[in-house]
Amino acid sequence: MELVERYVAAVKRELPESKRQEIGRELQANIMDQLDALREQQGQLSEDDVAAALKQMGRPRTVAYQFVPPKALVAAEDMPLLKHTLYMVLGVLFVVQVIGATTHWLGSSDGHVIRFLLQLAAGFIADACFAFTAIVLSFAAINGTGHKLGHCPGKDWSPKQLPKADLGWQHIDLSDIFTDLATCIFLLIVIWYPLWVNPAEFAARSVTFTDAALLMLQWFSPVIVLSVLLSLWQLQRRIWNRSLLLGSIAVNAAFAVFLVTLALSGPLLQAGPTELKSLFTVLQLEQGLRYGLLITACFPGYEVVRDLLRLKHLN
Amino acid sequence: MTSSQLDKMRLELRRGVLVLAVLASLKQPHYGYSLRKQLQDRGIDIDEGTLYPLVRRLAEQGLLDSEWQQAEGRERRYYLLSEQGKELLLQLTDEWLQLNSALAPLLTESKKLSQSPEHNQSGETE
Repeated sequence: MELVERYVAAVKRELPESKRQEIGRELQANIMDQLDALREQQGQLSEDDVAAALKQMGRPRTVAYQFVPPKALVAAEDMPLLKHTLYMVLGVLFVVQVIGATTHWLGSSDGHVIRFLLQLAAGFIADACFAFTAIVLSFAAINGTGHKLGHCPGKDWSPKQLPKADLGWQHIDLSDIFTDLATCIFLLIVIWYPLWVNPAEFAARSVTFTDAALLMLQWFSPVIVLSVLLSLWQLQRRIWNRSLLLGSIAVNAAFAVFLVTLALSGPLLQAGPTELKSLFTVLQLEQGLRYGLLITACFPGYEVVRDLLRLKHLN
Repeated sequence: MTSSQLDKMRLELRRGVLVLAVLASLKQPHYGYSLRKQLQDRGIDIDEGTLYPLVRRLAEQGLLDSEWQQAEGRERRYYLLSEQGKELLLQLTDEWLQLNSALAPLLTESKKLSQSPEHNQSGETE
């Protein structure tokens, strides 16, 4: 019977401390009854017979899990809420990371774009890992106390508020909102860089905006702030409606017109006191920037047309 | 339908019914092995890996009373339907009978239909 004791001990090792003695005791009694019944059928049992009977019962870990099934870290009904929380928090972290990386980038004398992107990616990944672990562990801790967050009734709703079935575009993706938010905040920081960068570092830059271009950009800032507010409104509604579409059309039209105007206006860049260590001259960079602005203007232009069509469908 | 699909469906179908069978059997006190034997004799084959944890869960829910007893030189845990279990069994039995009376004619009709020659012919032409 030593095999039975070893088997029961192996099962007990896989069980929670509080249930080991009770389940082990009961399991042993059940196995002994089973072996008794086998003995009645076959006569005296050899060690091989006992081993075969135990093997038929299953691996100790499997048997332990049948008695006390392993619990998921987060309950299935809380998974949608967990995913939503992760998206929101990661989106906010991305925006915060854009602010930090852009400020640091503007403060550095070389203004290396690849280094900026690497810093942004590394900072976001580090924050995202921490946030992911913290959020999942928080959900696990709350589930561990027996509470299910997914059971919260939430705010009242009506089927009438649901978007039309044939208008799939009406649902606004969180990724779109956070991308817009990050872009706008990036633009605001770049436009107002004289405020963030100390004068010594600013003077050390090899290329800067001309005063006229910078003034135009600063005058356009209220529209960018409006775009941020529109994104926050989208975050709250999550469904395209008439007002949101009108707001989006106005902001995107302003962006498209401004970008084209900026591209066609006087010199945008000027050489700083430091020598430019680049493959390109200031003139070539200026040309590149103009073409870049014209191409970029196509995106808000496309969104204006898209939202006008959507508005037509909505009506 | 593959055999794994059939096994999965059978498992789902049996899961609820086994609770009813165990509760009904425990109007008399039983220990684990004797309960399994009784169910087996009645045509309900249930492996120990399913039965023993199920009985424990029902006891933890207060549907069964349990007591350790010494018998034939060995200790055994005997289970018996509690008052709460009796009440639940009555309700579940009504539910089962009602469901079965509705389901039986439906299944008989469906079986007859699938065995009829017209049905087989239309199945072939499709």
